[in-house]
Amino acid sequence: MKARMGNSMFLKHEFLKKWIKGLHIYSNFKKDMSILERKKAIKLSADVAIASTRNASTRWSRTVMANISKNETNKNKILVEQVFSDSGVIKKKASSGLMACRNRIKSKKILRRSHITQIRARKMGPHAVKASFIAKKLVKNRTQVLKNLVPGGENMDEISLIKETLDYIISLRVQVDVMRRLASAAEHSTKSL
Amino acid sequence: MAGEDATVQLEKRNEEPLNYRDGNMSSQWKLNGNNLTNTSMVINPTSNSMVESLSCSSDSMADSFAPPIWNQPIIWQSLGYCDMNVKNNASTSNTLGNGTSIFGPVRSNAMLKGSTFLPDFPVMLPPSLPHFPADSGFIERAARFSCFGGGNFVDMMSPSESLNPYTGDSLEAFMGNGSKSLPAMQSQRHEINAIECSKEVSLPVELGTEGSLIKNDKMIENFPSSHDEAKYGIGVSAHESDEAKFSGSGFQEELDDAAGESSAKGLGSKKRKRTGQGTQINVNNGGRQLATESAKDQAEIQQQGDQNQALSKPGGNRDKSGSQGSDLPKEEYIHVRARRGQATNSHSLAERVRREKLSERMKFLQDLVPGCSKVTGKAVMLDEIINYVQSLQQQVEFLSMKLATVNPWLDFNIGGLVAKDLQTGTIQAVLPGLGSSSVPLQGSVNPQFSTVGGRLRESTSQVHCAWEDELHNIIQMGFNSNEPLNSQNLSGSPRLGHMKTEH
Repeated sequence: MKARMGNSMFLKHEFLKKWIKGLHIYSNFKKDMSILERKKAIKLSADVAIASTRNASTRWSRTVMANISKNETNKNKILVEQVFSDSGVIKKKASSGLMACRNRIKSKKILRRSHITQIRARKMGPHAVKASFIAKKLVKNRTQVLKNLVPGGENMDEISLIKETLDYIISLRVQVDVMRRLASAAEHSTKSL
Repeated sequence: MAGEDATVQLEKRNEEPLNYRDGNMSSQWKLNGNNLTNTSMVINPTSNSMVESLSCSSDSMADSFAPPIWNQPIIWQSLGYCDMNVKNNASTSNTLGNGTSIFGPVRSNAMLKGSTFLPDFPVMLPPSLPHFPADSGFIERAARFSCFGGGNFVDMMSPSESLNPYTGDSLEAFMGNGSKSLPAMQSQRHEINAIECSKEVSLPVELGTEGSLIKNDKMIENFPSSHDEAKYGIGVSAHESDEAKFSGSGFQEELDDAAGESSAKGLGSKKRKRTGQGTQINVNNGGRQLATESAKDQAEIQQQGDQNQALSKPGGNRDKSGSQGSDLPKEEYIHVRARRGQATNSHSLAERVRREKLSERMKFLQDLVPGCSKVTGKAVMLDEIINYVQSLQQQVEFLSMKLATVNPWLDFNIGGLVAKDLQTGTIQAVLPGLGSSSVPLQGSVNPQFSTVGGRLRESTSQVHCAWEDELHNIIQMGFNSNEPLNSQNLSGSPRLGHMKTEH
């Protein structure tokens, strides 16, 4: 954990740098933006920045980058490419498809196994089935929700999902922390102006 | 008339602690069932009377005998239960309302139903609420149950992949405790489970988890051998003494204690621990307790922690390398030996390794997610994690909106901000590098930068100069390298590589 603390500071630096860079690029593109556009730009560059701190080593970061490059307009693609200048990303994007396949296969195995369990559980008796079955269902539902929350988590099995969630939570915290500080600093400065 | 019934039955009740009446009961139960949602979170004054009756202190209960909305909800809350088995109990509660009209022979039934109800309380659900026989047996069982919840929490931390639910286990354990009429073997197992969860005994929570393993049909093969059962037997005898203790004292305190301790136990032993040994438990180890277990156990398990990818058992098994993704492109094999008394089936070993990996990860998550240390149990943990992730994402949205409104230029004059806040020291640690790095970006730097900086210079000229020096100091101190000054160079991959290993 201590290593993590030290690293989080470093993470914050990295994130902030990239984020500011992205913001500069944005402002170069478009001088006048509405509030919503600004907010979108801010959020986008923040997401790109925080995803790039992971250097495409995690699924969620790759997914975030892929989503941004895929869904957005030209300007965002350029933004992504500029901010995230690591070529390793592009290579890893190719492999992520393979990873997805592997994970899907794994998920199917797990699904099959759980079906077998359910069948066996049903044979056991009403009580066992009810309690365990419902609790399992609960967990499964929540796992599904988590998968939807974490970008790129849909095809993952449980263990890697938890790992991704861990990483994602850390990055989100960094993001929130830096943004909050920046916001408060900006507020202070505007108040003092 | 209800009061008379109460008094009449109070005398009866001194033998059988629970005030149990037929017609009034059922109607009152139903009433209470409806009220449960309101009262489960609050100590119902009537429940106090129930407590008194439970402790057999007789006749403080007067006409106002209302069906006991019992203190159990409180206990469950202290245990940190969440909505464990809402649906489950919704279905079983119906039987409770109708079936508990007869007192004597139904005692075991009531126990059954009571047990099925117990998980319900925190959810405020059941439409009808039985009167729990407050005899000593029930008290100890309830205490056991609450302990067992703690114990089972541990199991939930590292459950099988079929997600052996805590509730299922606890329910069955409870039922096993309550009614001896269960099939002998099963009841034995239940007893074992119950015993395991007893807080009084120094038996580890692990026993509870082991017991709950029993419940899982997948884990049948992992059921401890008779050798371990003998150890459980030791626990049984130890537990008997506790039961006497339970029955003697006030019911509520016992349960609260049980709740507190069980939750503490859940805290201490998040990871399921194999109880090779018997009465001694290592409750406080983290993920590396396997070492201690192996010290006591005969078999060893060597694991490499998170880095371990594949699992190769004596039979050689499917590899789990895929699960780790790009972290370890090469597949490494974990050599796992079967623990003593466990099946050597390759599947079960693989599952065990998987479970342990999972529990390790969950442990990390517990550290990350605030407020998760007490709650162990997969469903609840997942719930917390989901809430946390959602809240973080919402915060990002909100903050980006706020930044958009605060700063219409989208160029955050970091230099100005840093200068301003260096005095307060808020962003100091975060932004120093940026303060210097934004300077080269003259082209896109906010035109206000100079004005802000200028203003700052006017007001705090010394600070401004000091700021530059501070910045440099901070940069040298806090940064690993000087290259961040050049904002073009953002790769920094060698440093980023460090981050990968942080978890």
